[in-house]
Amino acid sequence: MNPTTPPLEDDELIGSLLVAAEKVSHSLKGRSLEELLSTPETRESLGQYATEMGDAALQVSEMMRNWASHIPWESFISLRDSAQTPNDDGAVRALWSFFSEELPPVRKALQDMCQPAHQRRKVDPVEEYALDKNTYDFFRPAGRDLLKRTEEFHGWVEARRQTETWPYSRILEVTPGSTALVTNELGRLTQGINFASQDYLSLNAHPAVREAAARALHDFGPHSAGSAMAVGNTRISEQLEQALSSMLKMEHITLFPTGWAAGFGAVVGLVRPEDHVVIDRLAHACLQQGARAATKNVVRYEHLNVEAVRQSLKDIRGRDPRNGILVVTDGLFSVDADWPDLVTLQAICREYDATLLVDVAHDLGSMGPGGTGTLGMQNLLGKVDLVMGAFSKSFASNGGFLASHTPAVKQYVKMFGGSHMFSNALSPVQTAVVLKAAEIIRSPEGDMLRGKLFEAVGALRGELTGKGLTCMGSPSPIVPLLVGNEKLARTVYRLFFDRGVLAVMVEFPVTPIGAARFRLQVQASHKPEEAREAARVIGRCIEDARAHLTSAFGSELV
Amino acid sequence: MFDAIVIGGRCAGSATALLLARRGHKVLVVDRSTFPSDVISTHFLWPHGTSYLNRWGVLDRVLAQTPSHTEINLVNDGIPLVGTVPVELLRQYFQQLHGDDTGVVQRYASVRRRVLDKVLVDAAVEAGAEVREGFVVEELISEGGRVVGIRGRTRQGTRVEERARVVIGADGRNSFVARTLKLPKYDERLKCTFAYWSYFSGFSPGSAHMHRRGRMSIAVVPTNFNQNMTLVFGPSEWFENFRRDVAGNFQRALDFVSPELGEQVRTQGKREERFYGTVDQSAFLRPLYGPGWVLAGDAGSSKDQCTAIGMTHAFRDAELVAAALDAGLSGRQPLEVALKQYESRRRSQSAAAYYDYVCTQAEMRPMRHDELQLFVSLRGNQAETNRFIATHGDIAPLSEFFQASNLMLLNDGAKEFSRDHAVFADFEATSRMYQQNLFAA
Repeated sequence: MNPTTPPLEDDELIGSLLVAAEKVSHSLKGRSLEELLSTPETRESLGQYATEMGDAALQVSEMMRNWASHIPWESFISLRDSAQTPNDDGAVRALWSFFSEELPPVRKALQDMCQPAHQRRKVDPVEEYALDKNTYDFFRPAGRDLLKRTEEFHGWVEARRQTETWPYSRILEVTPGSTALVTNELGRLTQGINFASQDYLSLNAHPAVREAAARALHDFGPHSAGSAMAVGNTRISEQLEQALSSMLKMEHITLFPTGWAAGFGAVVGLVRPEDHVVIDRLAHACLQQGARAATKNVVRYEHLNVEAVRQSLKDIRGRDPRNGILVVTDGLFSVDADWPDLVTLQAICREYDATLLVDVAHDLGSMGPGGTGTLGMQNLLGKVDLVMGAFSKSFASNGGFLASHTPAVKQYVKMFGGSHMFSNALSPVQTAVVLKAAEIIRSPEGDMLRGKLFEAVGALRGELTGKGLTCMGSPSPIVPLLVGNEKLARTVYRLFFDRGVLAVMVEFPVTPIGAARFRLQVQASHKPEEAREAARVIGRCIEDARAHLTSAFGSELV
Repeated sequence: MFDAIVIGGRCAGSATALLLARRGHKVLVVDRSTFPSDVISTHFLWPHGTSYLNRWGVLDRVLAQTPSHTEINLVNDGIPLVGTVPVELLRQYFQQLHGDDTGVVQRYASVRRRVLDKVLVDAAVEAGAEVREGFVVEELISEGGRVVGIRGRTRQGTRVEERARVVIGADGRNSFVARTLKLPKYDERLKCTFAYWSYFSGFSPGSAHMHRRGRMSIAVVPTNFNQNMTLVFGPSEWFENFRRDVAGNFQRALDFVSPELGEQVRTQGKREERFYGTVDQSAFLRPLYGPGWVLAGDAGSSKDQCTAIGMTHAFRDAELVAAALDAGLSGRQPLEVALKQYESRRRSQSAAAYYDYVCTQAEMRPMRHDELQLFVSLRGNQAETNRFIATHGDIAPLSEFFQASNLMLLNDGAKEFSRDHAVFADFEATSRMYQQNLFAA
């Protein structure tokens, strides 16, 4: 070989090896060793192919040889020696045995090295597309046609609907009790143990609640016919404000048509562009979006980290002694089932002249002494600056509220919060339902319902944990079952449907990337045995989905 | 009788041997190569990779012969970002994974394997491990379903048998241990990149450059011997066309992704070696341990080269597996329990998220509009740019950066906008153009 010629690339050398291997296989086809030994031309050409292979292997780079350690490079190289003696029967026998026994799998391995792996196996493109992307991938579509650019997202949703992995398009066919009947995106009907509905105390089916709704319908009709600022409120609205006031030990209650409107309205009603919002990273979307709409000065602190709040407030006060600071947290976080140290949080806020807003949407009514939620559990009733909540989890209706200590705050948020003044008020039926629910929640029956709820929660968490699965947070009406990988979660979700479990899957952007989970929403009407049975089904679905994806990843965090 | 036999004496193997030997265990390392020795590798060490070397006291020896830097230049479809990995994030990484953050350094380095692996092998010997080079393992000895040793051929051709309480497979993607034990592959991701590279002298890019345009990427990183590791990679679908003219298409890829770097390589660069390349990079996991055996590095989980994380992960594995084996061999913990913990660290949610990230990157799809918008929003936001770089290199968890409220805040705080960047001018037409195979005749 001319020493100035640069060495050939590994690709070409492996190509030569494969060509020689092809020729070998061609000339050996259907021939016995005896036939070979008695055919001088074949002996000669085999020797020639052996030399070609050996020469090529010898030139393959050290890099490649060390990396492709499953290829017997040394055996190829030593073929050159055997090829030197075409007249020696022993050498020919050795060649024959190498070529007929060792070479075929090596040839396959060499081919695999040169052929892109995805060409070796067919995958279903729709399934691949459906399991692959994230909702957020479509958050900033390209182009100036606002309508046309929504098509790409729609295409992905269709792929997920077709593969039954889209969690946002099921239709309820009955009252959402401990079991429910739903139709999925392909029109298939299933009955299952229902963890997908938010009705923690099962008040949706309570006769007294239904009776209150019927009476309100009779007395006022279905419609409030105007903003609460005009004449949208009735005398039951006032009774509801009083009931909530006495439950929370906060004098002034403002009602909103939805919980979302209450959170968004409270923040934008109070915070101005030069003010600051310090908000838990996982606080509810209505509060996050309220903060973004109100000011650019938003600090998102590490989930539950009150020391991080202290540091932020210190920093802000160090450079801005003049403007307001609103600190925002959930009472019970619905995606992680945990809650902050509200006592310290409120104390820190006082220290730095900041205002604390706590969203008790998930815990008020469903946990704590007398249904007073995490505030009651931390002995903080009436001691927090601002409290907001939603009725949709434990009070069997749409709607939300803001609770304050002064009438001034109430008047101000009503006027400047936008979502109160410029929405139609809660309907009379909704108001009556919430009022009746509040009564039940505060009664001994409420205690009994919470007892049943937590019995089912305990049974569910116990059985899931016993299977080595990860339930996040602490016992609460929400049991977040951590899965992690989005593909796995979507596949599990699909299996749930056929095996009789209805549950909400949450993934990015509701959770961070790679932290998908099921939010199992328990109700007072779930029997402990029903919860345990569901947990067993869930365990099997996760196992089967993991096998389907041949996945070895677990669910531990770090 | 050894406490441990390590098969493979490179990143994962020598490092594991070194750590075990230092804790007083009797260790044998065997490798078919004689060192110094090269092997296919992007040979990039992220700052946590160099930090591991520093923790083990061998970084100085590497940096004495290898350039290192802190600043990384990323350019995506013409949108430049420059950043360094913050010390706090490195500390958090080591605290979370190893419970100790000593020896953190911010520098990254591109170090040839013939340099690095030699340093590691020597360090393992100094630590008291017995290293046999040129040793070919032919067989695993199993008794009652348990691996208890190896049979193989020494450099001199003598057949020997050695026994140990545990055999560590640190023998790479095509692991002999894994093949012999017929271990299955999990989480296979078949789509990957093809990558071709060589070593060029004659110019100096300063620090590492990693550029991407459409479905192609290039990297120019200063390495040993005053050369620049110069790499191009693209989707494996384009591999067949690319390989028809490696030298020509290599230059074409450079010119397409970065005309400036392409020009520099063409006019000033002198190629010092042949082109190397591979398309055999599909990702997989294997079972990590069983009776008498455990895997570390690429043997246990191999991924595409596109984030250049392989060596750093091998070092991570070495620290994790050495800690587990030390606990097991010394009797502080049942070996099975210790190895289970090793496995759970390797199979955590964060690890799964990063695996998914690399595999998705490796498909080399054109950057989406929102991804590019994100890069625009990062411009001028140094803290978040640094965090993004740390996230890309598996130092900070993906879940911290790719979190809805964080991304919204990035959007809100943007100082630059799409009008400032040419790629957005006719995005749809550009995206269509990017789908065309650059190397089709």
